[in-house]
Amino acid sequence: MFAPPIQRLVAEFAKLPGVGQRTAQRLALHVLRGTDEDARALATAISEVKAQIRPCEVCFNLTDTPVCRICSDARRDPTVICVVEDAADVVSLERTHEFHGRYHVLGGALSPLDGVDPDDLHLPELYRRLRGGEVRELIVATNPTTSGEATALHLARELRSVAPQVRVTRLAAGLSVGADLEYTDEVTLGRALLGRREL
Amino acid sequence: MKYGEADRILHVFTPELGRRSVIARGARKPRSKLGGRLEPPSHVELELHEGRGDIATVTGATTLAALPRLRERLDAIDAAMHACDDVDRLFGDGEAHPPIFHLLVNHLRGLDQDPAAATIGRQLAFRLKLLLGAGIAPELGACARCGAAGPLTAFSGADGGLLCSGCEHSGFRIDPALPDVMRAALGSSLAEAPLPAPFVARQFDRAVTDLALHHLGAKLRGLQIDG
Repeated sequence: MFAPPIQRLVAEFAKLPGVGQRTAQRLALHVLRGTDEDARALATAISEVKAQIRPCEVCFNLTDTPVCRICSDARRDPTVICVVEDAADVVSLERTHEFHGRYHVLGGALSPLDGVDPDDLHLPELYRRLRGGEVRELIVATNPTTSGEATALHLARELRSVAPQVRVTRLAAGLSVGADLEYTDEVTLGRALLGRREL
Repeated sequence: MKYGEADRILHVFTPELGRRSVIARGARKPRSKLGGRLEPPSHVELELHEGRGDIATVTGATTLAALPRLRERLDAIDAAMHACDDVDRLFGDGEAHPPIFHLLVNHLRGLDQDPAAATIGRQLAFRLKLLLGAGIAPELGACARCGAAGPLTAFSGADGGLLCSGCEHSGFRIDPALPDVMRAALGSSLAEAPLPAPFVARQFDRAVTDLALHHLGAKLRGLQIDG
């Protein structure tokens, strides 16, 4: 129906996560209707991100420099490391403005059934950072999913021998702000009860 | 499996419909009414909407057993997820297997009641009972090839059980303890499953995975057996 160049663009957009054929068509037509400058800017942004972005040599966060801005920021507390599954989780935690330490991006979560073993994660690099002796606390901020919990338990077990001096903590689990108790699932509510704090 | 912005595609196993793939829209949003209830492994009652496609949509979920204690131990999580994966691999879409459903629920609830019960013996016994439920009854009393009473010195998945010394060339050699361990695993409850030595457990696991592969075309993942 469309000329081959449009079909190619539609096919490329349709490869993006959450983008179906119709949305891909809409995006392609939007690009077509826009100015040449907009289209060039989009193409340049895509090629630049592929060419310039790489994992931080220390924490594996995404960066355009060898060491990311967080790791090279002297104001960040080097004694606390927050472990996350994915670079997108760093963005979420940074938005809270509550954490002033540094990060370590694992690159996934343990899931033996999906073939993700400890060797597939950036765990040896984390252990090396902890052996340095500077870190006092490790906050495990993996997702509260089965694989996220398995990763947290694995980390806690390994750290008892790798870095016994490091305090290992886990993000609190419980109710989200604005949630309704009536509709909250039993595991979440149970954990919220266990993790209750004094007022 | 994550799908789209905030949806999840799940494999569920039901007593009446067997295995089904369902989609839970918005399940990954923090305020979703479904999210926490659909985190595997869970025993839940689902309300499904059958649309035009193959995948039904989850419209409601009620927790029957949240299995919270199971999630606090790595070995219990591992045992539970292996059990779910085994069922997923052995049983096709739309095949109703109520006994298998109850075996799985019993296993998961047992792991939750006593997460320390996630022994390799229990996992192997579950796998053997699962095969039995799938219609594979291995020959554990005599040679599967010639019918000789013994001594039974090998196992062959292709032949369907233990082999005598005269027929052992078509199987792999086993420890003399394996026949008794397998028989005891089949004859006892999961909670009372025998705990074999690591090398016997590895042979047990190989026997079960060979049986599943040869007779059901299913490739079960090997269990992690330490020691």
